[in-house]
Amino acid sequence: MIPATLLTNALLVGAVLFCLGLVGILTRRNLIVMFLSAELMLQGVSVTLVAWSRYHGDWGGQVLVVFVLTVAACEAAVALVFVLQAFARTGRLDASAWQALREENLPRVIDHGLPADDRVVPSWPHLSPAGVLPEGDDSRSLERDHV
Amino acid sequence: MDPVAATTLPIPGLLLAGSVAALAASLWLLLPKTSDTVNSRRLGFVLGAAALIGFAATGRSLGGVGEDAVFLTVAGIAVISGLATIVTRSPVYSAIWFAMALAGVSGVLLVLGAQFLGVATIVVYAGAILVMFLFVLMLAQPSGMAPYDRVSNEPMLAAAAGAVLLGLLTLSIGRLSAAEPPACCRLPSRAQAMAAAPTEGAGSEDDRSATLLAPATAGVESVDADEVAHLGAELFGRHLFAVEVAGVLLLVALVGSIAVVSRGEATETDHRRESR
Repeated sequence: MIPATLLTNALLVGAVLFCLGLVGILTRRNLIVMFLSAELMLQGVSVTLVAWSRYHGDWGGQVLVVFVLTVAACEAAVALVFVLQAFARTGRLDASAWQALREENLPRVIDHGLPADDRVVPSWPHLSPAGVLPEGDDSRSLERDHV
Repeated sequence: MDPVAATTLPIPGLLLAGSVAALAASLWLLLPKTSDTVNSRRLGFVLGAAALIGFAATGRSLGGVGEDAVFLTVAGIAVISGLATIVTRSPVYSAIWFAMALAGVSGVLLVLGAQFLGVATIVVYAGAILVMFLFVLMLAQPSGMAPYDRVSNEPMLAAAAGAVLLGLLTLSIGRLSAAEPPACCRLPSRAQAMAAAPTEGAGSEDDRSATLLAPATAGVESVDADEVAHLGAELFGRHLFAVEVAGVLLLVALVGSIAVVSRGEATETDHRRESR
């Protein structure tokens, strides 16, 4: 049993997490970030369920959260497989790469022009070279300049 | 709701409206757009902090969030990391921030007294699901900062919708505590009824197993030492069929994802053969 003040505060935290996840899934276009936002919404619902469960002294809410965990694991596995397939087909993780599947009367999403080179180059730590420089630069093309 | 109850709302309306507006503006400024500058992001951070303080203040006027510093800390970690999850441009950083939000949520669950779920959130989410996300990011990351990570769909509308929804939820949570009838005419909740009922002595082993097998009497005491045992008794007692269904669901998801992957690889090699 928890007091009513802790209940309302926990409900508030759950509401904030749910709304943040909602905004994320509505705005972001990266498929993986969209799934992360959906998981954030699930977390908000879990907090709400546990708060009510503890307030009423009933185990039903916590049991439901256990099933939420199960379904989230299944959903993530299946969804990530489809994300990988979509990436293999289009080479992008963009949700609007699949906008050819839209209804006929809906407009096409057109990207606004990005500014050409205003990307802030992150300052990575610079390590002074030591030892012998390895032969062969074939692996250079596999390196990424960012994460 | 009658106007008397509306005037005696525990939430100051102006504070709530200000918090909603600040949250909407902050989300709009922070979400990836084409017209981002460093200054607009800084302003977004400041407005977001103001909105968080405003919502914490509404929570304080609801109950007394300042009394519980542990709860305030873990809730702040969860909310701030959740915000960072959806506004970070790089998906890898987004996943890392989501792990941080999971840590905060797990702390909130522990404060609420759900020890098993707090630990299971860390183990299942951060240990398994998030690592799977990171593996997929490693497999499917195009080189270069992708343009679709720097542009988002309708940031202004979505931020306004999310902030308004949060305001409405806060309002209804406030009415929940305001509309609570006085103690004389309130229906006793199930836990109170159980607490009022005479409890059996839990001395011998038989009594212990009897309480384990009767999950309706669980959760009465404020600090539950046998929380996991009670949850397990409830899960495998009343909800045994649902546990079986969840097992079948896991199996189906496993088989289905493997089938989709192998079929997809087969078609990929077919395409390559045809193109040759």
